[in-house]
Amino acid sequence: MADDFPPMTSIKRWLVTTNHKDVGILYLATALFFLLFGGILALLFRVQLWSSGGVILSDSAFNQSVTTHGLLMVFWFLSPFAAGFANYFVPLQIGAKDLAFPRLNALSYWFYLFSGLLIGISFFQGGTFEGGWTMYAPLNVPMYTGMEAATGGNTAILALTLFTISITLGTMNFLTTIHRSRAEGMGLWNMPLFTWSWLLTVWMMLFAFAALLAALLLLATDRILLTQYFATDQGSSLLWAHIFWFFGHPEVYIVFFPALGIMFETFQTFTGRRLVGRKWVIIAMVLVAVQSFLVWMHHMYLTTINLEIKTLFMATTIGISLPFDLMVFALIYTMVKGRVRFTTPFLFSLGALVLFILGGITGVFLGAVVLDYEFRGTYWVVAHFHYVMVSGVTALIAGLYYWWPKITGKMYSEALGKLNFAVYFVGFNLLYFPMFLAWETPRRVFHYQEGMEIWHQMATVGAFVFGLSFLIMFYTLGKSLVSGPDAPDNPWQYARTAEWAIPSPPPLENWSGRPSYASGRLEFVDETPAAAPATDGGSPASDGGALTTADAVHGTLDQAHGHGHEEEHADHASIWPFGIGIGMFVFLLGVSGLTPSVAALAEWLDPEWAAEAGISGSVDYLYPAITLAGLAILAYVLFEFGREQFNAPEMAVAERWPFEGVGNTKLGVWFFLASDVVVFGAFIGAYVFMRIYAGWDTWGPVPDHTWAGLLNTYILLTSSFTVILALVMAERGNKKGLIATLGATLLLGLSFMGVKAWEWYDKFLQGDFWFSGLEYSLYYVTTGLHGVHVLLGLFIAVFMLYRIFTIDAYLEDSRPVEFFGLYWHFVDIVWVFLFPLFYLM
Amino acid sequence: MQTDTRVDVFEEIFIVFLALGTLVGVIVVAYTLYNAYKYRDVGADEDEDLPTLGELPTGGKGGRKLFVSFILSAIIVVSLVVWTYGMLLYVEDGPGDNPGDDAVEIDVEGQAFAWIFEYENGVESTNTMYVPADTPVWVNVTSTDVWHAFGIPEERVKADSIPGEYDLTWFIADLPDGEEEIVYEDGIECFELCGAGHSNMKGDLVVMEPDAFDEWLEEEAAALEEDEEDEDDEEGDA
Repeated sequence: MADDFPPMTSIKRWLVTTNHKDVGILYLATALFFLLFGGILALLFRVQLWSSGGVILSDSAFNQSVTTHGLLMVFWFLSPFAAGFANYFVPLQIGAKDLAFPRLNALSYWFYLFSGLLIGISFFQGGTFEGGWTMYAPLNVPMYTGMEAATGGNTAILALTLFTISITLGTMNFLTTIHRSRAEGMGLWNMPLFTWSWLLTVWMMLFAFAALLAALLLLATDRILLTQYFATDQGSSLLWAHIFWFFGHPEVYIVFFPALGIMFETFQTFTGRRLVGRKWVIIAMVLVAVQSFLVWMHHMYLTTINLEIKTLFMATTIGISLPFDLMVFALIYTMVKGRVRFTTPFLFSLGALVLFILGGITGVFLGAVVLDYEFRGTYWVVAHFHYVMVSGVTALIAGLYYWWPKITGKMYSEALGKLNFAVYFVGFNLLYFPMFLAWETPRRVFHYQEGMEIWHQMATVGAFVFGLSFLIMFYTLGKSLVSGPDAPDNPWQYARTAEWAIPSPPPLENWSGRPSYASGRLEFVDETPAAAPATDGGSPASDGGALTTADAVHGTLDQAHGHGHEEEHADHASIWPFGIGIGMFVFLLGVSGLTPSVAALAEWLDPEWAAEAGISGSVDYLYPAITLAGLAILAYVLFEFGREQFNAPEMAVAERWPFEGVGNTKLGVWFFLASDVVVFGAFIGAYVFMRIYAGWDTWGPVPDHTWAGLLNTYILLTSSFTVILALVMAERGNKKGLIATLGATLLLGLSFMGVKAWEWYDKFLQGDFWFSGLEYSLYYVTTGLHGVHVLLGLFIAVFMLYRIFTIDAYLEDSRPVEFFGLYWHFVDIVWVFLFPLFYLM
Repeated sequence: MQTDTRVDVFEEIFIVFLALGTLVGVIVVAYTLYNAYKYRDVGADEDEDLPTLGELPTGGKGGRKLFVSFILSAIIVVSLVVWTYGMLLYVEDGPGDNPGDDAVEIDVEGQAFAWIFEYENGVESTNTMYVPADTPVWVNVTSTDVWHAFGIPEERVKADSIPGEYDLTWFIADLPDGEEEIVYEDGIECFELCGAGHSNMKGDLVVMEPDAFDEWLEEEAAALEEDEEDEDDEEGDA
């Protein structure tokens, strides 16, 4: 397939590519598009703020603008822009040929792009979500805007859900890659700092975005299926705030860490010095990554949480600020006795450092709870976090200039780059500094005190200057593309990392020999068959959900399977990730408009409830039809994705601590399950939180028949047993046994779903629906999420049976059966928690 | 007896933070820029241990200075925040030994997009809050619909207004010397995005002499009773 891989000038190339460098370019370009999108929204409301009372936008349009600006910048610009660099350079910095799961990587990108397109579409569905990027409850449910007006908001929430899924796929991929594909001699400790910062970013993402995914799934069921999680005055607001900020605070570091990594890289290169206190900087970053999950309630000081908790979170908050002091000083001292060259990337990095210092100092104000009481909800917060976040943007722009010659093979004009920086820096401070002076203005209002007008007008002028600097940047880069001189392999003196040791732009397969640091320096080992080491062999890796192709296990196992050392053929093209992206896009677009139909259904099922809740809807045929079309597309493309032969060779020789003994795909499955644990944890946590809030004994168990739950527990535990037998049969190469045991698993799963369907139907007959009350929502949604997991498992089982029947799959390589078993056991274990929680307590 | 108001507490801390923050900011940024300039590349001798392409990353020299700076900054930050903790306890407990004695309690309800105030004797006012001067005013803030945040910047007081939650806090309003009443127009604002009308969800604060406040309360209560009687009469007529 590599032979007919289309050239970069062909559109087809960009639709089918799975190569990490191509995907990196796609991420960078798309993220810049969303930067413009979010930036134009910001200009709109800065114009609105020219004078108190507003000029051009209605109340609703203003709220839509500030909300979408926040969502786009935080989600669709910052992290994906960093992900673009990570896609391109993390494999190069660690000496890998590609990410562990290239097709999954392309899928991450397409989910990202299509989720962003959904945001664009949501504006035209009667207005997009307008409850702020923090989406506080209960404003985030449509009870205050009406069911018909919910569609655009639904699309925005579903878009963010799809984005979150994209991030989760990406984290599985990068965690597996960084832990399993490092060149010989490159221990974790030896990784370049950009890679380090990205590793910690994806670790935080794995857990933080899982919490966000849970919050969004609950919100989406509220908005579309009319459940009650965030609609009550019984803890709903606090439930949302807890889950959202549990995600939201790590998110701050998630968007800032990659920028920090770029600052470390560029400071070292352009000062000609190694980072001072490197070891301590890494330790500081690890501490921040862990502690980031323990500070979320400092966003909630005014929400009636008690003094003890405030004190605790004040302490953890101060604690997490200190490692950043160390990092800042490490950067400053790295310049000492250096040879500082004021190139464009260095200027942006230095600018980022200065802005970050100011952002950090103004953050200490917020760390003092008494001051936070007064700053809460004001422009002080706005100014502070823009100084921090956009300091991050500044460093990311540094990264763009730093790596531009490597990516494009062209140099840019330093004069234009410096002009870019000058305008950028002036515009930045003119935009954000007056916000400190106007700090008493409440956030997200355009009626403000007259005395503040001058500051708001300065900020608006600054916004346009700041916007202009991006036009200069696009001009500089465009000019470089068209007429820039060719870039050498390494245009920067004192650059150290491996991406500078190969041509600009790098060839498709990155390396001419196997990169190795075994001698303490980067060397390229000649890998002709005769010279290859005798102990290891590469073999194709399967790709995430596609449990079809083989996956390598490090060491001698491969030889037992008969894999040779012939030049491994790597695939770089698959159209199916794009297809799955389209399928999800159509499906979610359809789902966004289901609320009125569901409301009509609820009205029909329980007219009394609907009248009391003021809910009425009318059945609509367009959106359900789109939903079904999306499902049909998804079924087809997922099937083809699963069937496709796609080789992503695992590295023959690599540093893999601490995961030497786990294959790539298995490790990926483990990472996925880890994030799924957090998703279920958040669902179960929501149940426990709401029940404690209501008074634990206020509600009894919702299901009527404990025996039915117990029966289902036995059914699932038995199916765990049959799936173990299936693995044994596959290992023995026993086709009939494999079909029997896998078929038994399938039947047991179907029995489970049958019992569940009967239970639900029985409840419905009594008039207890998922929307009938909070306790019913909790029961139906939590067990429903588990049911969806069972259902997905059954689809995989059917697919696997089909593969066994048609091509005798898994008889020679049983590992896909094992991966399926891991998932299945996990789903069973979750039930073991759900059964006592919902049937016995 | 002189009691600290929320304004006093805020001013005291804010000024110290602002002064120290500015000082530290100026020093650190100046030192950063100084280093960048001082160690600009002048093409000095090449015999040092310079980084080279392909080396395994290691750290540079200068660790001791790093730790000294780090510990200094940590001391400043920790001591500043710990220093404010006493003030936090004061704000949490409220002024005086018996806040109930001479204090006034007002229930505040946020409602898209208005503020409703209910005083101790059942009198209600909408969008205008009347308070006595130099008296601790305890506000008990909640919401009847979505999440708002009740704030009076002039008095440095704020409380989240959340459905189902009751956020209790206090403030003491001053009257400028010689004034009998002062009105802060739009002095009450909403600090959490609460929907289309959020931007203009504002109220007035009226600070009165305590006696005038009591008088006002009684008048309003009397008017309320009359209204109720009228209503009863009307019902009786019907």
